[in-house]
Amino acid sequence: MSALLLWILAAPLAAFLLLSLIKPRKGGDWVSLVAMTASFGLSLKVATSVLSSGLALAGPSFAWLSLPTGFGIPAFSLSLGLRLDSTGAVMLLIVTGLALCVEIFSTWYMHGDRHYSRFFSHFSFFCFAMLGIVLSDNLLMTFVFWELVGVGSYLLIGFWHEKPAVADDPFYQEMKASDATGILETKLSPSHAQLKAFVMNRVGDFGFLVGLGIFAWAALAAGLQGDILSWDNLRLAVNMGAFDRIAFAGLSGSTLLTLAGIGVFLGAMGKSAQFPLHTWLPDAMQGPTTASSIIHAATMVAAGVFLTARIHPLLTPDALLFVSWIGAITAIVAASIAMVQWDFKAVLAYSTVSQLGYMMIGLGAGAATGGYTAGLSHLFTHALFKCLLFLGAASIIHGCANHQDINRFGGLAKKMPVTALATGLAVLAICGLPFFSAFWSKDAIVASAWLAAQERSLHGSTLLAWGPWMLAVLSALLTSFYMTRLWTLTFLGKERDHHVTHHAHDPSFAAKAVLLVLSLFTLQFVWTGSVNPFGTGSWLDNALLPVGAVEHLSESVLHHAHVQTMILATILGMVGIGAALFLYRKGPVAFKIAPVWNFLANLWFIDKLWDLLWVEGLGKRGGKFVALLDLGSDSRLSTLETAPRLSPSLDGAVDGTAHFTGRLGSLLGRLQNGNALSYAGYTTLALGLLVLLLVI
Amino acid sequence: MTSLLLSGPDRLLPYLLVSAVLFAAGILACTTRRNAVGYLMGIELMLNAAALNFVAYGRFRGLEASGHGQVFSLFVIVLAAAEAAVALALVYSVYRTFRDVDLDQTTTLGSKR
Repeated sequence: MSALLLWILAAPLAAFLLLSLIKPRKGGDWVSLVAMTASFGLSLKVATSVLSSGLALAGPSFAWLSLPTGFGIPAFSLSLGLRLDSTGAVMLLIVTGLALCVEIFSTWYMHGDRHYSRFFSHFSFFCFAMLGIVLSDNLLMTFVFWELVGVGSYLLIGFWHEKPAVADDPFYQEMKASDATGILETKLSPSHAQLKAFVMNRVGDFGFLVGLGIFAWAALAAGLQGDILSWDNLRLAVNMGAFDRIAFAGLSGSTLLTLAGIGVFLGAMGKSAQFPLHTWLPDAMQGPTTASSIIHAATMVAAGVFLTARIHPLLTPDALLFVSWIGAITAIVAASIAMVQWDFKAVLAYSTVSQLGYMMIGLGAGAATGGYTAGLSHLFTHALFKCLLFLGAASIIHGCANHQDINRFGGLAKKMPVTALATGLAVLAICGLPFFSAFWSKDAIVASAWLAAQERSLHGSTLLAWGPWMLAVLSALLTSFYMTRLWTLTFLGKERDHHVTHHAHDPSFAAKAVLLVLSLFTLQFVWTGSVNPFGTGSWLDNALLPVGAVEHLSESVLHHAHVQTMILATILGMVGIGAALFLYRKGPVAFKIAPVWNFLANLWFIDKLWDLLWVEGLGKRGGKFVALLDLGSDSRLSTLETAPRLSPSLDGAVDGTAHFTGRLGSLLGRLQNGNALSYAGYTTLALGLLVLLLVI
Repeated sequence: MTSLLLSGPDRLLPYLLVSAVLFAAGILACTTRRNAVGYLMGIELMLNAAALNFVAYGRFRGLEASGHGQVFSLFVIVLAAAEAAVALALVYSVYRTFRDVDLDQTTTLGSKR
């Protein structure tokens, strides 16, 4: 059984390698499909056994690096190993299942693309990396696969890297002709967007590495045997009080533990697009929509949440408060921006960012309040309905000749009823209406945030404690508003632009089947096995129980919090839906409060601030400073021939060295002139010197 | 003193002086003669200067009965003969290549002056 874990991981890798080697001109999808089906089948088998027994399954593991005692460091080892616990089992099912669905859908969506088989090759590579994160049994291996999903994401964002930037793309300019503002102004070309995503993630990963280092240090101080970074050993180290034994630069062990947690969480912030590192995700929408559906909506961006859940037992209360606040700020910032976006995928992108913020609020609320379980539940329900929304978007974009402007859609429900139904269900789910999946998971998050706030306000500032809850409630209202706006403008009303929508049609049979299968999962019943919206203790709740002993709050307190949150959230959801339906029933309306509108349409000026700080400030100004030392790579290369021979700079020093040795060489080279007579002269001279030396 | 050295039982110095003159003449020939054959003659002169030194030292400073000095001189003479044969062959080869034995002209390395 445990060897099966390896096969689950190896199948997509094999598909990637095979497709990379044979590079079929067309077709090739079957390689990926077979591998993913095998992976999914094996996952079903393994995951059901793990979920029914409740015991984690340890897979094959090998010591990657084993060092003996030396340099004052005790012997330790780092390993690469597979492990599947119940949380991982649910994640595994969702990753493999969604990957299979998306691949089937892509056979329709990507049909006729020039690089059809390359899509499936890169997609398989991404699946391999993602499964590596899910199955990894230690922090280091997680980091390795963490970077690999980054590569997979990079490859797929830039899939159409030949596409020009917006400013040079007449197609986009035409789209902008309608009164559209928002992400278009900052929209990048795919090749630029992929770099942006990669670089922004590096920022977070720097924190990840620092946190990983501190954890490794503490585990070494605890004198643990075996792989020091495995989940079990890390938890053991913290429980043993390993952090009391280390201190650094006046920072006590407990502060270091907080910093280590926040450090690893920084990595999660990058990958899960949390404020202030969220700006890459909307740009990542330049990739194929089906790739976005799984990478930038369902699984990869949720990997940050998954990692935070993995390190959850290691997080201190301070670190958890930090997680809560980051999540809350992300949720409200992204939700407010999504209200004014006009690009179908941009709305979904900001919605994803906002929902990821929700998950972080849940995890930040701690395990005792049920926040851990709630955050993970929302990860899973969100993965399904957001993937569905993106596949719906793919269907619409395909049907409407690559247009994405919701102002020019309208009345599509008649032309693509299956898509309208599926996305409609997903919208109702994300709005958090009763009997839909997010009603159960999102409201559990808000309830846990409320309980955590109560707990925290006893110890510290009231605003600091209640902020995440308030922002979460406000975001819930905004979420139902913008999602309904999106759906209403697209599917209801009259046809606004015949040129855009007259060809619209539902996708092929297989793609429609995928949409309908996924829309089943928008229902709460599928997740909890019960139609009672207030029921607790479902199989999923049990699968997602926090690791280690956690003292839960009493059942009655939890129930009370849940009931009041559910009533509140249902009202807010209804209000949001009602308002959006009323405002947008006839098409786009101009209700603009100029300053607010500008603020939101400019994405809270966060992208512009980053541009100003890093690109203009550090990049260009810093570049000038560096140019003083160095001639600057660009100008240097272009003026290599004409550049001054020697200048007082770093390049000057390098050039000078070369110049000096060159001159010295040519000077000495004159001795080697091939003239026998001068050689005889040198010999005589040397002889004379020798004699002189002997005599004196 | 000088006359004693020149005329006494230990008459080494005159031999050394002759040898030194021979050697200097050889070096002069090697550094100034542009003709390869003249160059070879210079080498012969230097070899003979060294041989003369061997004999002189063997006679006046070493054990005369052993004859070491003379033996070394014989070696030098044989070596010089062999060297002359090889060197003349080289010079002939150079002449065939360059149609010249002027050492200034027979170079392919560096800039020609």
